[in-house]
Amino acid sequence: MNHNAPSLPLTTSVRYKRRLMPKLNRLKPIVAVLPFIVFFYLFQLTPLFWVLVNSFISEGEWSLEHYQEILDSAFILQGFKNSVWLAFWSSLFGLLIAACLVSSLRHLDGKIRDAVVAFTNMSSNFSGVPLAFAFIIILGTNGALTLLLKQYGIIDDFNLYGSHGLLALYIYFQIPLGALLLYPAFDALKKDWQEAAALLGASQRQYWLKIALPVLSPALLGTFIILFANAIGAYASVYALTAGNFNVVTVRIASLVSGDLFLEPNLAAAISVVLIGLLAFITAINQWLVSRSYHAKR
Amino acid sequence: MQNVNLMAHRITVYSIIALLALPIMATFVYSLSSHWGASILPDGFTFKWYAELFSDSRFIAAFGRSLFVCVLALVLAMLLMLPTIFVVFYYFPQYDKVMNILILLPFAVPPVVSSVGLLQFYADSPFTMLGTPWILIGTYFTIALPFIYRAVSNSFIAINVKDLVDAAHLLGASTPKAFLFVILPNLKKGIMASMFLSFSFLLGEFVFANILVGTRYETLQVYLYNMRQTSGHFTSALVMTYFAFIFLCTWLGSRFSKGNLS
Amino acid sequence: MSYVQVKQLSKSFGKQRVFDAIDFTIDQGEFITLLGPSGCGKSTLLRCLAGLNPVDQGQIWVDGENITDLSPQEREMGMVFQSYALFPNMTVAENIGFGLKMKSTPAAQARSLIQRFVELVELKGKEDRYPHQLSGGQCQRVALARALVMQPRILLLDEPLSALDAKIRKSLRQQIRDIQTELNLTTVFVTHDQEEAMLMSDRIFLMHQGEIVQQGSPESIYTQPANEFVAGFMGHYNLLDKQVVKALFDLDSPHKVAVRPESIYVKEEGRQYEAHISSPKTAHVLNHQLLGNVIRYKVQIEQQEMTVDLLNRSSERLLPAGSRLELLFNLNEMQPVSP
Ligand SMILES: Nc1ncnc2c1ncn2[C@@H]1O[C@H](COP(=O)(O)OP(=O)(O)O)[C@@H](O)[C@H]1O
Ligand SMILES: [Mg+2]
Repeated sequence: MNHNAPSLPLTTSVRYKRRLMPKLNRLKPIVAVLPFIVFFYLFQLTPLFWVLVNSFISEGEWSLEHYQEILDSAFILQGFKNSVWLAFWSSLFGLLIAACLVSSLRHLDGKIRDAVVAFTNMSSNFSGVPLAFAFIIILGTNGALTLLLKQYGIIDDFNLYGSHGLLALYIYFQIPLGALLLYPAFDALKKDWQEAAALLGASQRQYWLKIALPVLSPALLGTFIILFANAIGAYASVYALTAGNFNVVTVRIASLVSGDLFLEPNLAAAISVVLIGLLAFITAINQWLVSRSYHAKR
Repeated sequence: MQNVNLMAHRITVYSIIALLALPIMATFVYSLSSHWGASILPDGFTFKWYAELFSDSRFIAAFGRSLFVCVLALVLAMLLMLPTIFVVFYYFPQYDKVMNILILLPFAVPPVVSSVGLLQFYADSPFTMLGTPWILIGTYFTIALPFIYRAVSNSFIAINVKDLVDAAHLLGASTPKAFLFVILPNLKKGIMASMFLSFSFLLGEFVFANILVGTRYETLQVYLYNMRQTSGHFTSALVMTYFAFIFLCTWLGSRFSKGNLS
Repeated sequence: MSYVQVKQLSKSFGKQRVFDAIDFTIDQGEFITLLGPSGCGKSTLLRCLAGLNPVDQGQIWVDGENITDLSPQEREMGMVFQSYALFPNMTVAENIGFGLKMKSTPAAQARSLIQRFVELVELKGKEDRYPHQLSGGQCQRVALARALVMQPRILLLDEPLSALDAKIRKSLRQQIRDIQTELNLTTVFVTHDQEEAMLMSDRIFLMHQGEIVQQGSPESIYTQPANEFVAGFMGHYNLLDKQVVKALFDLDSPHKVAVRPESIYVKEEGRQYEAHISSPKTAHVLNHQLLGNVIRYKVQIEQQEMTVDLLNRSSERLLPAGSRLELLFNLNEMQPVSP
């Protein structure tokens, strides 16, 4: 084999160039990432930054006035209260129902399992405006289900447009999301564990309390947080259902930037900052709880 | 005992699924019924709402706008993300952790909050962004980001990027060529799956579309909202059409992520 | 002048120094093995030769040309990875032809080259298979052909056999060596398996913590370990403290002394021994391991435990624990080793 084949003249000039610019070559990967950084900065980071800065600006000067305004406004505080109430209960019920679904699903056979996973995947996209419309059709004043329940005397009246109607709607969109987040976590439960526990004399209940729940707890907590954040940030469904008449914090924020009158974007920014702060606080609690679980000790 | 248990699990699963399917089924029946007033069952069935919908030029236009915005946003997201993920995995694998935190931002920050910032930031930008599809394309890129990063980085983990690119280099390929010929073809699954899944997610986006753009560039969701005063049967037909589309996308997406198609 | 010259090569990852001022030369057509425990810097050195890792200092010369600053594309080196690194989206033929395509080799010429190397690695008929349809051994042969088809100046192999099972490893070992000889290829082979290194190499570079602690032919490294590490790494050497050597054999040594287990004999009654054989030492058997043709005894001589390899002759039965033995040592084989 010929190792000393004459190299083409082209190669020499390329070599010369490469040797001159080793530093520049190292910059190339950075250049490839630059467009991403620019776009991420323009559409994700700057908005956040502007929200933060503007929340401290009142009439062109630095001030805490907007935060004071939030504390003084019973209306805004009620928005927070309603949001937290909706988010908490819908996350809790959503999580419980999703956990039932996922844990029972493990006992059914593969084909059905795949079909159910596919269905939850799809129904997780059934949210926002279309979902609100579907709820009006079945649970609205003249909805089929409302009429059915009324006919059998189970309910007198059902107000879809009040807090309980909204809670039903929220729980509905939390279930598929919760299930999607819990599938992988439940897959981590090994069948051997239950068998080993049974051989050691543990009852079904003891297995769940002593083994399954501790193993699942970080995933359950994490899922709860995501559901909570999802619910507290939800806007489209509640807006579509109540045309902005139900007082939750996202509706407050939106009405201050895009309503027809009383535009106060900097107050909206301050409410946004409080909302983010609330989410950060809850995430921190979650982190603390997870750090106390056995996962952290590995 | 075993059988009783199995029965209980079956009942649990099927009743939850029925609960989830109920609004969808009801909307479907409603969209096909000629009239469904103060009664439990509809009076009769018809396709007229669908016919009406598809002859509404405003619907067609809104649908077209949504497709335009979503497709462009996804193309943009892919063009930005593919080189980035490649650079992360080939040159700086330790930054995968950082990226995993960054991509949580679009999840963690509610769209309403982002819109407040976007409205203020772009209110006095030299180019008009507000009220145009361009701002939607930019924000939709951030929404698609987590989906794409997760799916594509999974595809990256499945191959040995470092060795493949090094081997290609030694065989005379430049880095862009190595990426194009050796890496990219192996990402097809992750790319297609995340495209379809984020597409169905983007098509349902309402908050940014309503607050940042509104009727100035009416997309599907905004059109749907604006149609709330018309007949419920008509909006049901609209919702079902939208949902059928979502169904198709999620189905294709999961087919790709399972690898039945290639 | 040597074909490959490595001068004062240094490489660190951040603060961690992998190797410092390494020097060595390789002749054309030579089969060199970099041998050492995992983490000692073998792969890093190999990747520096290939240009995949930039070096901090020093130079690499090949065939009278300084290639230190060349990119991997320009070095004309072939490399085979432990992970095979086959392109999963390409068939066997496409994998082998990838480098030719990058060089814009005319199609007809590329086809005949691919054909020739497919035959060389005995994969005829499998040209259209994808890597996931091949066994590990077949994958590695594709990787080999893919490197060889480019007619590299140096072939680099980074633990190419480590992921394969024992039987395939043995046959592929031979195949690589045969092809290397046939093509007279300058080859650098990396392994942590001393048996593999001994079987394949013209010369072994034994590495430890980023240094080449000894280089030479397999025999010389095995029989004359330069230090305690080499003695420990190359076999089951007994390392005796100098005080023990003094007490047992009345020999003065500046360092510890390495004694190969197979250089110790059982005294045969009535036989005359030469001067370089020690006086008999009484040993007690502690336990034994049956290694097939050899029985490895752990014995105790006074306070010193030692390993002794005796041929497994059917006429001699296994000595149970507690048996007494009279052992003889070849004093010429007592190898003082620096720490
Ligand atoms: N890309 C890298 N970044 C940082 N450290 C590395 C890198 N590659 C190797 N090392 C370190 O360099 C040392 C030598 O590694 P390597 O050359 O792979 O050893 P070997 O191949 O002999 O097992 C190890 O301690 C390893 O942790
Ligand atoms: Mg190595």
